[in-house]
Amino acid sequence: MTTDAVSRPCALPGTPLAQERAGLDACVHCGFCLPACPTYLALDDENDSPRGRLLLMQTLLDGTVRPDDPDVGRHFDQCLGCRGCETACPSGVPYGRLLEATRATLTTHRPLPLVARLILGVFAREWALRPALAAARLVRASGVAGWLARALPARLGMPFAMLASTARPDAANWAATGDGQRGEATLLTGCVMEGLFHPVNRATERTLTVNGYRMRSTPGQVCCGALHAHAGDLETARALARTNITAFESCGAASVVVNSAGCGAMLTEYAHLLADDPAWAARAATFAATVRDVSALLAAAGPTPTAPIGAPRRVAYDAPCHLQHGQRIVDPPLAVLRAAGGIRSVPLAEADQCCGSAGIFNLTQPEVAERVLAPKLRRIAESGAEVVATGNPGCLMQIGGGLTLTGSPVVARHPVELLDADYARGTRRD
Amino acid sequence: MSSLAAALADVVGGAQVLARPATLHVYRSDALPGLRALPSLAVFPATPDELIGVIRVLAAHDAPFVARGAGTGLSGGALADGITLVGLHRMRRILALDPVARTATVEPGVVNATLTRAAAPHGLHYAPDPSSQAACTIGGNIAENAGGPHCLKYGVTLDHVVAATIVLPDGEVVTLDRGDEGGYDLLGAFVGSEGCFGVVVDVTVRLTPDPERIVTLLADFTSVDTAADATSQVVAAGIVPAALELMDAATIGAVESSVYAAGYPRDAAAVLLVEVDGAADGVEADVTHLTALLRDAGARGVRVAHDPADRARLWQGRKKAFGAMGRIAPHLVVQDAVVPRTRLAELLRTIEGIGVRHGVRVCNVFHAGDGNLHPNIPCDTDDPAEAARVHAAMSEIMTACIAAGGSITGEHGVGIDKLGYMDALFTPETLDAMCRLREVFDPGRRANPGKAVPVHACREWHAVPAGRRGVA
Repeated sequence: MTTDAVSRPCALPGTPLAQERAGLDACVHCGFCLPACPTYLALDDENDSPRGRLLLMQTLLDGTVRPDDPDVGRHFDQCLGCRGCETACPSGVPYGRLLEATRATLTTHRPLPLVARLILGVFAREWALRPALAAARLVRASGVAGWLARALPARLGMPFAMLASTARPDAANWAATGDGQRGEATLLTGCVMEGLFHPVNRATERTLTVNGYRMRSTPGQVCCGALHAHAGDLETARALARTNITAFESCGAASVVVNSAGCGAMLTEYAHLLADDPAWAARAATFAATVRDVSALLAAAGPTPTAPIGAPRRVAYDAPCHLQHGQRIVDPPLAVLRAAGGIRSVPLAEADQCCGSAGIFNLTQPEVAERVLAPKLRRIAESGAEVVATGNPGCLMQIGGGLTLTGSPVVARHPVELLDADYARGTRRD
Repeated sequence: MSSLAAALADVVGGAQVLARPATLHVYRSDALPGLRALPSLAVFPATPDELIGVIRVLAAHDAPFVARGAGTGLSGGALADGITLVGLHRMRRILALDPVARTATVEPGVVNATLTRAAAPHGLHYAPDPSSQAACTIGGNIAENAGGPHCLKYGVTLDHVVAATIVLPDGEVVTLDRGDEGGYDLLGAFVGSEGCFGVVVDVTVRLTPDPERIVTLLADFTSVDTAADATSQVVAAGIVPAALELMDAATIGAVESSVYAAGYPRDAAAVLLVEVDGAADGVEADVTHLTALLRDAGARGVRVAHDPADRARLWQGRKKAFGAMGRIAPHLVVQDAVVPRTRLAELLRTIEGIGVRHGVRVCNVFHAGDGNLHPNIPCDTDDPAEAARVHAAMSEIMTACIAAGGSITGEHGVGIDKLGYMDALFTPETLDAMCRLREVFDPGRRANPGKAVPVHACREWHAVPAGRRGVA
């Protein structure tokens, strides 16, 4: 028996999709991915399922369907890229990579929508990104965001509700100390994380300090490029990756900590992203091996628990796709929550299902995002939780915005924020 | 848009009718992608009324059609060659679940595992458990009379169906039951009719109480022969396991490389997965007996799993084995045949010989307890020479199974994949009787034309216009 691919006709030679063809061959069409796909469940068409999209990729390669076909483009646009199908796939189809390669191939035939191009352009340029995030903070602080979220119709109000939900009037602020015995770590501060969630970044630094990591800063780091790669702009993603690798190499810390699941998944993918670049492949692989989600580092250290504090808050954990599927990290965030003495964990049904955030998906595909979010909000209400914990800025904003819009008293928080708040309360009590 | 498409859109809405080839390709195959046929239209009703409306529109247009659940079938049964595909995946409501009567009434698009999840809080489950249960639908299970590992003890789909509402191809709605109160068992005729008799609108199925104790044993062997013989010894000893499965080395390797790695020993020539369930005392006695018996039969090691998580892991590996074979080669040809259990070892040797002679690699993963073989061949069917070798090997395997007194399908159905073997298994008179039974339900031969029974076997066939002959 031969396992070498026979040379087959290829309608799109030399494209990113053609390069990933081997991954496509692993699919045997068993259909086990169907129930794991949020867009198949929401849209009821196999064209919006992993198996269907893999078959569309096949038809693009064999020339049965043209890359400028509007329907085919739409079905790829409507994919969240949550990679829930990868966790369900017995055959190990690298769906996420295939999706990015397909989008990269299609962008040469049909440009990205204007909204997407605008957002990606801003994120790739520090000089544009910083003022944009500063303006967003101003809109948030002035109360305009909250007002617009309430005043506008739901779909128009959602972006403002998302922004309003990032406010942290209750953010802890305290000085952490630790023995530094677990070695040096440096934080990917991120774009949205530092721009809209800076209290989470500080909480990350403090909880790691308490747990024995010596925190170092890394100047010169930029956006991770995840949004660009997911949209198919692989060249911009590669440029950003090279800048980041250089910056983190100069820092030299043993671990690069990420508190955003989407960015973490991207950094671990740098090895694949730059695999064909001889000057960078080895550096990218070495760098990718140092990347750690904050929950994994904390779990490795215990983490140090706090004493039980007062009446515990009911907290439900919702797993970010790019943590559970993208990085296969499932238990560490639960260990972080268990260490917080002021928390009582409550189960959340379908916690493994995507919330519909998916980077900028909720801005480019608001209708689909809304349909995917709806069951999530119902499950949260049924859980009786006061707080939903999730470790990704996109999920925090999507769920937080949805909760805000529906008038729910539940808030969305990063697991590290909750542990940090309990550490802070412990500190005050001392 | 054709007048048929427009009429269908009137029933289900324009968004639920696909007419462009670019959007129909994903419906060209089931889980055997080597078999392909492009539908001319796809229509997705969401409610019983919409489904009945769709079938009536098709009848009014004298249009043939194929019903499809999740497309996880393994015989090309849901292929619609240039005709209308009726997707039932949107009809996924559980209409009633009665824990006292232990029944559930569901729409055809309900996923098998979803029904078991819904029954779980009541200590019940839906017993037929095809390996594709995470994705396959109850409607599809009924069309194929689906089996699964636990059918060894609990019976196949037909044994768990109480009644069904059917829309006949001419649009008439009828309720079928097992004839328990007199009359014919028409439901028995319908279950396993591969979509040729009509479409399920809703079905009432039996739910089974969860056993008090379940224990799973994994026995590993250094030869396939010994493992196959051990299965006969288990059954001969008077133990009825809930399931008795065999996996060979190639299958073990594929599973252990996947996300469903179950901890099967990679150096084993074969493993047996044996499950016993029932009252706690009896189960523990069976486990002791089985462990000794399997060791005496030549097992190198026997692992006993009591803990649900460990058991689930052992089963996930088995159930996802077919998907995991995608790791070996770009395509996978899956087969399904039944042979007398006592001749398993002999047939596995024959199959191995056929594989060697044709230069193909046969991976075996199957329901050993009821002699239901699944010889699978990972291959590259884009290579014409290899495709021809695979085809020749599969034909010889099926011929050997028939010669051994077996059958050409245990649970996957005939579809179009195994149509060619029907003449070898049945006399022309038997095949003609099947055709005439079909005429009762579908005199126009519009429901899944050209499947299950070869059309040349039907005496009246040549009177039917050529356009209706479908994929055969």
